Amino acid sequence: MSPVRRDILIGLAFLIAAIALPLLVPGRYIVTQSTLLFVWAIVVVQWNLVLGVGGIFSLAQMALFAAGAYATAMLGFYWKWPMLLAIPAGGVVAIVVSLVVGLACLRLKGPYVALLTLAVAQVMYVLIVNDTDCFTTTGGCMPLFGGVRGIGQFGDIGLRALFPSKWYVAHYYVALALLAVAIAFSVVVIRGPLGLAFRALRDNPGYAMSRGISRFKYQLWIFGVSAFFTGIAGGFYAVHFRVVGPSVFSFQLLLFLIAMIVVGGLGSIWGPLLGAVLLMFADEAMKEFSDYRNIGLGLLLAVFVIAWPNGIVGWIDTLRQRRRARKAAAELSR
Amino acid sequence: MGNAAATPLLSCRSVSKHFGALTAVRDLSFDIAEGEVVGIGGPNGAGKTTLFEVISGLNPASAGSVLLGGQDITRLPAERICHAGVARTFQLNAGFDTMTARENVLVGAYFGRENRLAPSLRLGAAAERAADEAMALLGLSDRAEAITGSLPVIDRKLLMMASALATRPRLLLMDEPVGGLTDREVDRIIEAVRAIRGSGVTILLIEHVMRFLVQLSDRVLIMHHGEKIFEGPPRDLVNDSTVVDVYLGKGASERLRSFMDSRGAAHG
Repeated sequence: MSPVRRDILIGLAFLIAAIALPLLVPGRYIVTQSTLLFVWAIVVVQWNLVLGVGGIFSLAQMALFAAGAYATAMLGFYWKWPMLLAIPAGGVVAIVVSLVVGLACLRLKGPYVALLTLAVAQVMYVLIVNDTDCFTTTGGCMPLFGGVRGIGQFGDIGLRALFPSKWYVAHYYVALALLAVAIAFSVVVIRGPLGLAFRALRDNPGYAMSRGISRFKYQLWIFGVSAFFTGIAGGFYAVHFRVVGPSVFSFQLLLFLIAMIVVGGLGSIWGPLLGAVLLMFADEAMKEFSDYRNIGLGLLLAVFVIAWPNGIVGWIDTLRQRRRARKAAAELSR
Repeated sequence: MGNAAATPLLSCRSVSKHFGALTAVRDLSFDIAEGEVVGIGGPNGAGKTTLFEVISGLNPASAGSVLLGGQDITRLPAERICHAGVARTFQLNAGFDTMTARENVLVGAYFGRENRLAPSLRLGAAAERAADEAMALLGLSDRAEAITGSLPVIDRKLLMMASALATRPRLLLMDEPVGGLTDREVDRIIEAVRAIRGSGVTILLIEHVMRFLVQLSDRVLIMHHGEKIFEGPPRDLVNDSTVVDVYLGKGASERLRSFMDSRGAAHG
């Protein structure tokens, strides 16, 4: 089976299962948790393009998510933009932020990129939290970015009004559709020219340059395009929860998302999605032990980095290669 | 050749390259006309590969200028020099080891031809065709799906040439294309170089294997300590006392002379 064929089959299987889920499971909890899962899955699938495919060690992904979420909320709150316009605009704002960050960071190497991107995210967080000046006083004092409490009351995409009792199912399907597009896009990037350029750069940077590949330019591209869907996910998150606050910058969340990528398989097409599903389950299981949740997460991350650095998908690939090699050897000895 | 008024394809003017106190290339000037095959020889450490690094932009010149078709490319980044029409192969067997042979050539075909502002979503038929043509010209078509890292040395060398050709170069720089090959394999590379020349590409090659160099080159340049100590037709090499002294030695130059005599004149 050709790789693209396999991607399409896996994607369809996932899509059908996800479409059926709300029809099969009773109650609201699983559906709303799955909606959140889809939002995080969009983020990690796009982050994986930067981290695993582009080889850029950026920790700015949640800052881009926040840029999209805050832009959506502020356009709705201050200028009364309809949300269906504000969400894509949030995606565009995330691109702009990513290009500014990218221009500053991408000439640096490895760990410095991680440090600078994390610093950018922290600066954004501190600026928002420490801002106590009232920007507007309608409905109480509110700083420009909403301060610690965040921004609310900026509008909706209208599904709550349309399906008063089942709006959360409607949001589930919206998130699923966004995720499907984000995954399709990542498959196209990984299997297309950008993916080829980054594989070439990883195998042999000097040779890649002498064959016409500019590392900086293509890194900036992948950084920018992955920011778009991340920003859109942020906008949807804002609408879904009706509020955006500085909690999206939390380090715990960043760790949670990075663990999804590592556990699933850095750089692979399906690894981040698989990791997102597994980590949501693990998080659910650890819920009872509130304080130990982070320890469990850290432990899981450490075990994977040491024992299965290529994640579950990488481990499956190795098994398949070994089986193929064994088959080939058996055929030779016959 | 012959038309002195025509702009040379490549022109190096007083090119120098320093690494700290070390001068790897010193005040080197030469021209290459469209369609020529020029060979560069010289002892190890003479600055031959450094000269290629300078021309191809991986390690720009400290002084002097490099012109391609009259256009200054001295300070362009490596990928732009590739787009301008200079492709090179490497002394060590460079390759994208985890990719298939065809993907290696596709990289050249897709990224090497022009400066793309934005990458497209698919490689496109033009790049695929160019890659297949380059592989066919070098006899690699049956290796297309092999993983590059597992290919034998001769195929890796041919693959480097194929991916260079796929960038549609005007000038091809080849760094020791036959180093470490058997005599029969050398003959295969000679055929390949003739095929590349036949497709209209000008060639500048570095080689220690003198029978290869004199057989293919219209003109030979010998470098020593970063400087040019000889420039002329291959048959004059063995009569030049400096070249015999610093590079060939008495025995080798006699063998080379009889090799050239046995083949008549050494024309490409």
